Amino acid sequence: MCGTCGCADPNNEVSMTDTATGQKVMLNGGHDHGHHHEHDHDHDHPHDDHHHGHEILHAHGPGGEIIPLEVAVLSKNDKFAARNRGWFEGRGVVALNLVSSPGSGKTTLLEATIRALTGKIGISVIEGDQMTANDAERIKAAGARAIQINTGAGCHLEADMVAEAARALDPAPGSILMIENVGNLVCPAMFDLGEHMKIAVISTTEGEDKPIKYPHMFRAVDLVVINKMDLAEHVDFDEAVCRANIAEVNPKAEVLCLSAKTGAGMDAWCSKLQEIVATGQA
Amino acid sequence: MHELGLARNIAAIVREHAKGRAVREVRVAIGPLACVERPALEFCWELVIENSDLADVRLGFVGAEGDTFVVREMEFMEEA
Repeated sequence: MCGTCGCADPNNEVSMTDTATGQKVMLNGGHDHGHHHEHDHDHDHPHDDHHHGHEILHAHGPGGEIIPLEVAVLSKNDKFAARNRGWFEGRGVVALNLVSSPGSGKTTLLEATIRALTGKIGISVIEGDQMTANDAERIKAAGARAIQINTGAGCHLEADMVAEAARALDPAPGSILMIENVGNLVCPAMFDLGEHMKIAVISTTEGEDKPIKYPHMFRAVDLVVINKMDLAEHVDFDEAVCRANIAEVNPKAEVLCLSAKTGAGMDAWCSKLQEIVATGQA
Repeated sequence: MHELGLARNIAAIVREHAKGRAVREVRVAIGPLACVERPALEFCWELVIENSDLADVRLGFVGAEGDTFVVREMEFMEEA
């Protein structure tokens, strides 16, 4: 096992909990150790014997041969993501990757959404957190199928984890698969999960400048939901400034203001989801 | 925070393409919008290759634009 990075530590492994059965399985995905077996490389080459035996100049530089690679560092994740995308499209399932900082109210928004769309659109949920199945239990109580992925030390979901969870959830055609990513505005921006779109959720209590503090994430999303609007006046949240900040990093992003707690603005959000399902399955 | 995983991916790509040949240096191209911290990646690279078959492989950087993040090229050791 890999002794250098600690990723073989059982506490750091990625697990998946199905709330319907309570069954927890370990996912071996996510980490590729390259499985390098221990070879005893002998680096003490006999340099005295190091001669080429000919006087022709070598084309290569001071070192050895240089080969071009042009391999994307995240190509392994990207391949899984492309496979997921095909899987979702083939089934007519719209997968949405919800990203935010911890505590923005993603789970509360999902609970309210599941209740509001009961009988209209089927929703199943993949919950990503480092530890606990609390969020998946909340989703289950709200009336939807949910699978919890615990990333252990991991700071984001990766495409192969989503593939396993999606297979287990078996979402119906015409339904939405909500992927609630690990609360983190940095790393999830880099990892394509095969989703139809990324949606950022921010809350009024976080201040107006989150979009310019974490521009990579806000550049990667198509829609920004500003949650906890019921608290805006208590925390001096300036909606216009926040919208301007979002537009500064991502002029194309659509913005919806709502309160998942009071229900204000939920109609526009639910209509938007219905529109995405109607247009996203082509 | 994710640089350890990225360093591991780079090591896997080097192993796959080197096919056992000794590598002197692997050069990655990182654009300013790639969300990759060079010092963090250098630090993680040392952790990943320590005591491995890639223990002497240097990590080099070349300039790039946008969100480019690719393993650009690999230089082998001069063969005896």
